Amino acid sequence: MSEPATGGAVVAGLITYQDAATVGSVARAVRAGLAAHFAGLPTRMLIVDAGSTDRTVALAREALGAEADVVEVATPRSAADLLEVPYHGVPGKARALHALLSTARDLTARACVVFDGGVRTVTPAWVASLAQPVVDGRVDYVAPFFARHPYEGALTKGVVYPLIRALYGVRLRQPAAAEFACSTALAGHWLRHDLWARHGARAGIDIWLAAAAAAGDFRVAEASLGVRAHHARGEEGLDLASTIAQVIGALFADVEKNARFWQRSQSRATERLGSPVVAVPTDPPAIDPDRLVEAFRLGYQELRDIWTWVLPPRTIVDLKKLLELSAREFRLDDELWARVIYDFAIGYRMRPVARDHLLRSLVPLYSGWLASYVGQVHDLGPEAADLRVEALAQAFENQKAYLIARWRWPERLRVG
Amino acid sequence: MAEQFNRALGLAGTRIVDSVGSFLPGALVFLSLLLVALVLAVLIRSGLRRGLKTLEFDRRVDAWGMSVSEWTPSGSAASLVASIAYWTVLVLGLLLGLTALDAALPTQFAVSVLQYVPHLLAALVILVIGNLAARFLARAVLIGAVNLGVQYARLFSVGVKWLVLIVAAAMALDHIGIGRTVLLLAFAITFGGVVLAIALAVGLGARDVVARALSRQLRAPADDKLDHV
Repeated sequence: MSEPATGGAVVAGLITYQDAATVGSVARAVRAGLAAHFAGLPTRMLIVDAGSTDRTVALAREALGAEADVVEVATPRSAADLLEVPYHGVPGKARALHALLSTARDLTARACVVFDGGVRTVTPAWVASLAQPVVDGRVDYVAPFFARHPYEGALTKGVVYPLIRALYGVRLRQPAAAEFACSTALAGHWLRHDLWARHGARAGIDIWLAAAAAAGDFRVAEASLGVRAHHARGEEGLDLASTIAQVIGALFADVEKNARFWQRSQSRATERLGSPVVAVPTDPPAIDPDRLVEAFRLGYQELRDIWTWVLPPRTIVDLKKLLELSAREFRLDDELWARVIYDFAIGYRMRPVARDHLLRSLVPLYSGWLASYVGQVHDLGPEAADLRVEALAQAFENQKAYLIARWRWPERLRVG
Repeated sequence: MAEQFNRALGLAGTRIVDSVGSFLPGALVFLSLLLVALVLAVLIRSGLRRGLKTLEFDRRVDAWGMSVSEWTPSGSAASLVASIAYWTVLVLGLLLGLTALDAALPTQFAVSVLQYVPHLLAALVILVIGNLAARFLARAVLIGAVNLGVQYARLFSVGVKWLVLIVAAAMALDHIGIGRTVLLLAFAITFGGVVLAIALAVGLGARDVVARALSRQLRAPADDKLDHV
């Protein structure tokens, strides 16, 4: 898309919020990464705090030392941030990212790489993996790929990744991740975009940036970084329904905004950088498929009336057939799941019921899908589980014509 | 005698002519106002039908959970609103017309009804808002309870809906001054009684049972340590 800003510095930004426990190690790792991999280039470190009330900023400053290349960017905390905890735990994240990218653009950075101050596993190699392809001018956006247990990130695997891949044509498997690297051209594009003022930016900004990079026809890549572990900032108390409302709501809002783009978009290459890390945590998170199936059944029984506002009768019949299956036999067909998500995206646009209600009514369906997914991958290794996710993403691509048809003529297909 | 009779007849005739003369302009104004009200009502009804159709009002009302099929044979909320507006304008025209007749009783009646109209409209607004709030909250409670895995989610939802509807109805009736004291007492006794009964049941009779039921019910279906994003 664009030539790299050859004269500029490599800018590394830390977004922090109540990260006193981890920010020191993150800052030292990033500093070491810049020194080891970009020694011949000017570098800048930005500390952008989203309103911490603990010693986060002081500890970050302490870890980075009194070097001249450290810039602190202030982002005052807004009263609105107190109303809702976003799934990523950083209430003022959109403002912090905007301030960081603005500073990077003003510095005409050669590359800007962003880290989350709450991550415990950042290594100097992450800096190179993310920033090097941008510094070389090969790509404009590098998203991370973290090795995770097949159950972890199920919402991303089951909805976010397949939808972004089908609609935006890029294969970014973790588009909601906090870490990324971008070129100055892309930072400028983002800053000119209207996404900062959109409702829901507090939670959806990471996904929107990835989607805007894809929709802006920038070259994107994905770098394998290893395992990511982070400390909680209060988001661990968020219930599944709120998480789904935030993440899927942000995704659907973007789908609505970019409807013209994705109706014409084609799948395109997404470079995968680095070797995939297979050493994922071996202890599977505790999931009870029986309870997930039970939640699906209860949802069908009580929320079917709401679902019928967005799902066509054929889909309701297909879902009804699943009620008779035990947790062991429970399988939600990939194409059916793709159509359900697409129908909810159309429902989000048409507003037959309040959007928040619609998104929260998706929880039992997601529970059903999760039970089905866990049943299929519980005895598979990470690579085979990845293939399972790829098959699901392919189903989303196959059903894209269905989405386009219903998007263009929603009323005609309403009773179909 | 005959002269007196003729004079009395003349006086009576003059009085009748005077009365008709003084009544006729009022009657004409009454008929004119009625005609204007009729034309206005027809125009408003037609305009509302078209406007609401453009706004897909029927679909939206259905989406808000306010089915009007029981209230109107056509089953159309837009037609119902248009008809209500039509009859309201017509009745207001009639009442205004009555004041023009300059008759003491109808005028008094019309003025008192006209003074009552703002209260009626406010009560109607309270009812409509109460209805919307009841449906919205009922749906929110239903979805929230289902997501918590509560088997009696529908019961909670219906309970919330009726509670809000009753409060709205009580407020509306209070606003138009119907059964103010009786209504307040009845509502306070019923509501207080229900709360007291639940408190006693939970506190004395079924503490352990409720605790067990809650711990079983309020475990979220996907209550795990999973990072979904």
